[in-house]
Amino acid sequence: MSTLRIAAHSALRPAIFIRHRNVLRRLVVPLVILGVWELVCELGLVRPLILPPPHAVWDAFTGMKGQLPGAILTTLSITLTGFLIGTAIGLAMGLVMAYSVIARDFFGTIFDFLRPVPIFALIPLFLLWFGIGKPPEVALVSMGCAVILGVSTSEAIRNIPSIYIRAGLTLGARRSGIYRTVIIPYIFPHLVGAIRLAAASAWGLDVAAEFMGSQQGLGYLIIEQQIYLRTAGIFVLVFVYCILAIVFDVLIARIERHVTRWTERRSAKGIVASIVGSQ
Amino acid sequence: MTVMSTPSSIAPRILISISDLRFSYGPAGAGVRPILEGFDLEVRESELLSIVGPSGCGKSTLLSIIAGLLRVDAGTVLVDGAERTEPGPDRAMIFQEDAVFPWRTVRANVEYGLQMQGKSRAERHRIADEYLRLVGLVDVWDLFPRQLSGGMRKRVDVARAMAVQPQILLLDEPFAALDVMTKEQLQLDFLGVWAKTQLTAIFVTHDLEEALFLSDRVVVMSRDPARVIRDVAVPFSRPRDRTLRTSQEFQELRGELAEQLRFETGDLEAIEAT
Repeated sequence: MSTLRIAAHSALRPAIFIRHRNVLRRLVVPLVILGVWELVCELGLVRPLILPPPHAVWDAFTGMKGQLPGAILTTLSITLTGFLIGTAIGLAMGLVMAYSVIARDFFGTIFDFLRPVPIFALIPLFLLWFGIGKPPEVALVSMGCAVILGVSTSEAIRNIPSIYIRAGLTLGARRSGIYRTVIIPYIFPHLVGAIRLAAASAWGLDVAAEFMGSQQGLGYLIIEQQIYLRTAGIFVLVFVYCILAIVFDVLIARIERHVTRWTERRSAKGIVASIVGSQ
Repeated sequence: MTVMSTPSSIAPRILISISDLRFSYGPAGAGVRPILEGFDLEVRESELLSIVGPSGCGKSTLLSIIAGLLRVDAGTVLVDGAERTEPGPDRAMIFQEDAVFPWRTVRANVEYGLQMQGKSRAERHRIADEYLRLVGLVDVWDLFPRQLSGGMRKRVDVARAMAVQPQILLLDEPFAALDVMTKEQLQLDFLGVWAKTQLTAIFVTHDLEEALFLSDRVVVMSRDPARVIRDVAVPFSRPRDRTLRTSQEFQELRGELAEQLRFETGDLEAIEAT
């Protein structure tokens, strides 16, 4: 049935179309949105201050070209530093809390206390403690990421099948060996979701941090556009954030695929699609 | 089929000596009825001993105690005259569950214990290849466990446990989760591998036929409390092959043991497929 259909397709359509069918299909909705957007603006249904037409956004982009590289660099450095520090701290906290009951008793309470606190509420405090500039911004991003990773790590460790630990022990592994060779490799795929979530949150935390007191960076530029009522400029900066976040996510997904090649959830379609079908 | 009198004329050395073992799940003295109480057992060097008994009789618990994975309330486990309370590679264990590390390739799995012993990479490779060849997996060394069948994963498990060159091999119903065909093949292959190494092995199973087919001696346990109700030297010569199962002597012995087990435990469902 499906082979017949494919055969019919390839006879009628150019090969290049078949090969890029998925890409073309994905482009349909964005292109439609772009068209409607332009149309709505052309017909004067919305004021340009509220929604500038796509070509005005493009003009704003060309106008901001000079400022963008520096701002992107600043934002990237804040977000990535915060993400890396936060992820490392969260992972370490999770591991330490699973390793030792004493550590769990000591830090567990603080962790449980901090977990539900909205990080954004801490911005004024961070400004107070770290001053204006990069340190409070990095600290904010780190903290957000650390909480996400810490919770997921201790959760993942709690779910390790004991059979692997028993097997490791009878094969001569000591406690530290079990950590290095059983627990860390086992939890890694389970942390991928948390790492991607942390990465996505990092961008949001960065924007919030930059809103509060930055003198450079993309978030700061957004505030600047807002002050001068340059709505198109805000659109440009939002798109830049989107692109950065997507590129970062794709990079993480790449690394993930390599590191978790032993798991069964490798296929792009996923297990549900393979059972239910994806036509 | 030749039937010998007793397995060996040389007085065999006692390697494992278990005496007056007491174990209960839950805190000691909490009024929980112990699984094991006053339990004794001796295992000779290079002996393949099977322990059979109804489920819940404590045979797997006993194995975990010998492995050092469980702490006893009282009593001693002496291996080679020394008490062992911690797990160690001198008593490698093969489990019923799939214990092969899914994040390691076949060879990396077999190398695991050697890595823990701090052996060099070259040394690990050499030993792992040797045991992979022994279990017939040398061609799939670079695959991940998810790419293997259940039977092949079990072979990895066997190779991994044997590669650490343990003094004792502990097998906790290793083939119970496999289909009959795979199980019988693995039993034969295991006998082949075991014959080459002559390891002291304790094989826990609920399958009398498996126990008789593999071992030098079969210990039948009953539950509540766990005790040895029968200790039989298996009189069949080695090497053994499939035809042994259908021989009259084999079937008679199996029937006799099954009958006794039913009688002692008063539980007709206790022994499956007998």
